[in-house]
Amino acid sequence: MTTATNYFTRDRHIAPLAVFRIAFGAVLFFSTCRFIIRGWVHDFYIAPKFHFPFFGFEWVHSFGAPFMYTLYGMMAVSALCICTGLFYRVVAPLFFLCFCYAELLDKTYYLNHYYLVTICSFLLIWTPANRYCSLDVLRRPALRVTRVPSWTILMFKYQLCIIYCCAGLSKLTGDWLLRAMPLKIWLPAKASLPVIGPLLQYEWMAYFFSWASALFDLSIPFILLNKSTRRLGYFLVIIFHVLSAILFQIGMFPWLMMSATLIFFSENFHITLIGRVRKLFSLPAASGSVQEDYPVNQKTQKLQLWLLGIYFLLQVLIPFRYLLYPGTLLWTEEGYRFSWRVMLMEKGGTSFFYVKSGATGKKFEINNADFLTPYQERMMETQPDMILQYAKILKNYYQEKGMADPEIIVESYVTLNGSGSRLFIDSTVNLANEKETWFGHKSWILPFINK
Amino acid sequence: MKQNKLFLKTLTGILCFAVVLFSCSKSGNNKNQGGPGTGATDSVLVNLGTNIILPSYQQLASATTALDASITTFNAGPTLNTLSDLQTAFKNAYKAWAACSEFEFGPASDLFLTTHFINSFPTDTVTMKNNTGGATYSIDGIGNYAAQGFPALDYLIYAYGNDAVIARFTSDVHAAGAKSYMATLSASLKTKAAAVANAWSSIGGNYLKTFINGTGVNAGSSLSLFANAYIQDFDVNLQNYKIGIPIGLYGPSVLPTSPSKVEAFYSSLSVQLLIAQVQACQKIYLGGLDDKVAATNAQNAGVPLNDAIKTELAILLTKIQALPDPLSTGIQNNAPSITDAYTEVRKTTVLLKVDMSSALGIKISFQDDDGD
Repeated sequence: MTTATNYFTRDRHIAPLAVFRIAFGAVLFFSTCRFIIRGWVHDFYIAPKFHFPFFGFEWVHSFGAPFMYTLYGMMAVSALCICTGLFYRVVAPLFFLCFCYAELLDKTYYLNHYYLVTICSFLLIWTPANRYCSLDVLRRPALRVTRVPSWTILMFKYQLCIIYCCAGLSKLTGDWLLRAMPLKIWLPAKASLPVIGPLLQYEWMAYFFSWASALFDLSIPFILLNKSTRRLGYFLVIIFHVLSAILFQIGMFPWLMMSATLIFFSENFHITLIGRVRKLFSLPAASGSVQEDYPVNQKTQKLQLWLLGIYFLLQVLIPFRYLLYPGTLLWTEEGYRFSWRVMLMEKGGTSFFYVKSGATGKKFEINNADFLTPYQERMMETQPDMILQYAKILKNYYQEKGMADPEIIVESYVTLNGSGSRLFIDSTVNLANEKETWFGHKSWILPFINK
Repeated sequence: MKQNKLFLKTLTGILCFAVVLFSCSKSGNNKNQGGPGTGATDSVLVNLGTNIILPSYQQLASATTALDASITTFNAGPTLNTLSDLQTAFKNAYKAWAACSEFEFGPASDLFLTTHFINSFPTDTVTMKNNTGGATYSIDGIGNYAAQGFPALDYLIYAYGNDAVIARFTSDVHAAGAKSYMATLSASLKTKAAAVANAWSSIGGNYLKTFINGTGVNAGSSLSLFANAYIQDFDVNLQNYKIGIPIGLYGPSVLPTSPSKVEAFYSSLSVQLLIAQVQACQKIYLGGLDDKVAATNAQNAGVPLNDAIKTELAILLTKIQALPDPLSTGIQNNAPSITDAYTEVRKTTVLLKVDMSSALGIKISFQDDDGD
């Protein structure tokens, strides 16, 4: 027990943490700017008439255009401040809160890499990452430390290991390994890419990529943790993520992972890296070899370690909560989010919603585009919890229009990994009467039977 | 020192590699935005653009030019003979449009052909009466969207029988206004059709080249733009507007059937136009989408998806051909063949929107976004 604690609390050089802060902050800054420049603040948060908040967070509301732009402006500024290490104690929690708020507003936009950002920006709050190589140190030299407890670095490594392992385990399915789905659909579609394009038409490429990426995800944590294979590991990380950036429209995810995995390198690597960058900009070398330990309060640290233990236990358990549900995970998506299931399915659907007046019995079909943006509509059509939320939106709308007891029925067709379209939701069920629960199974999702 | 060297080597290696890979990815993106491509061309895009889309717009341009000419002739001497010629020209032009409405992207979407100008029905007869009665109007103005295009002409040259039409342009107090409004409508149609044909043509805007170069399936690629437009036209225009609303199944509130909301209500061309549109859909599908779908080995209910779609389109065509003519009367009589046809329309929508797009890896949504 003592050795274990020592392993987590012994002093390590702060350089890896500082580089992580700078690299991750830079990617967050570019990612936020890109989000604003592409007009997504408007498209995602201002244009929609309705939102799909996460269950339990229905009280989170959007407050119109000026507010949302201010929020994203604040996010960009605080990301830049995290990168440069300015007013860190304020901007780190600020970024986390702003980002979290935006994520909670609408699950339409949920992506694994946004979850990664939420998590890492949360973990960063609890580290003294600004106490080296930062404007804060320039401002107040007394802040500078060179040694920090090792858990402040280890937790990011463990978090990344969990991500890769879960992503790898989720690929150990018949669809992925034996049928090379969905890569068999996605790769030939990229046949027009230069150089690698022509190769992608071959079916064996889909199998190769499926097996290679599963193997990569499952082994990369160990390759990166092992000192002698680390350089090879990072090389593989680059190949894997750059390839995925070329092949798929996955935004900032590859760049986030490439910046985050830098933390696996040794402290000497990071010290040299910082030294070289300083030299490049003809900055004076870090002030001498003075060792400054981060002042640790033993009691607080003990509490922090316990909390971290609980946190990581949850991190390991949450991805496996899907085991508690009956049915096919990718079909029902019960327990799908927050589980590092990346690029696992080609799922498409269309849904015809009907409102039936309880009083007159007259039934008519809804134009989904009157209520939702194309993006919301597309995401809703394949995700049962969003279908239910949309049914509630319709119910409320027609109740407010004076219909006494509107019944909401959906005729929904979905195809999963080339299965061919089939009925997704029981079209005899009145969704207006169904309720969302924390962990309950939605019995109105029709079972997925592979023909 | 040794460690420093190794560090430098590793870093340089990694950076070089990242730069090389990144530049690959950049060129890929450029291509998708329609810039000059370096990769292989997509023969399906070449065929669709060269042999289907461009000729369809050229056909529309020449048909609307002919329509405009027969309107000039009719206006000079409104008789039953000139009216008959005019109605033939109108029929040809309207059918030509049924083979173009599938391509509402690029130039057509820039000019808002479908959404605003060409085929907004039911036509707004009140605005039209004001306009022919001497009110000032701007033909492209926002208040005028529903009082122009083919549906407006449909009213002017068919409503209430040929004698009423001749009277509208001769003895009516607003005959001069009606003539001038009809000429304006037709001139606008002709100009817009010519503009889109020219924008596609290699001697004009050459959007054809942009279309052919925009390979891939990402948002913004030609296949994605085209498939989205093709499916949208089928799903929204054909399924919802041309059938769903008139039969009272689709709408913002509880409605009875609305037979007068069919396309081409006054000329009773509804069924002919539906046939023309389904034939166009079939031709487009067989213009290369079939090869793409067949290459994926996708299945539907145990049958190759390509066969399923081809069969379904053929069934749909026979059901549409069996519709009661005129459609509006059939709706009044609750003809069962309409419900039959609608069922097949629904099946086709699902096959195209869900199965086909998924098999091709195309996202049905014009919105740009990230996935993971």
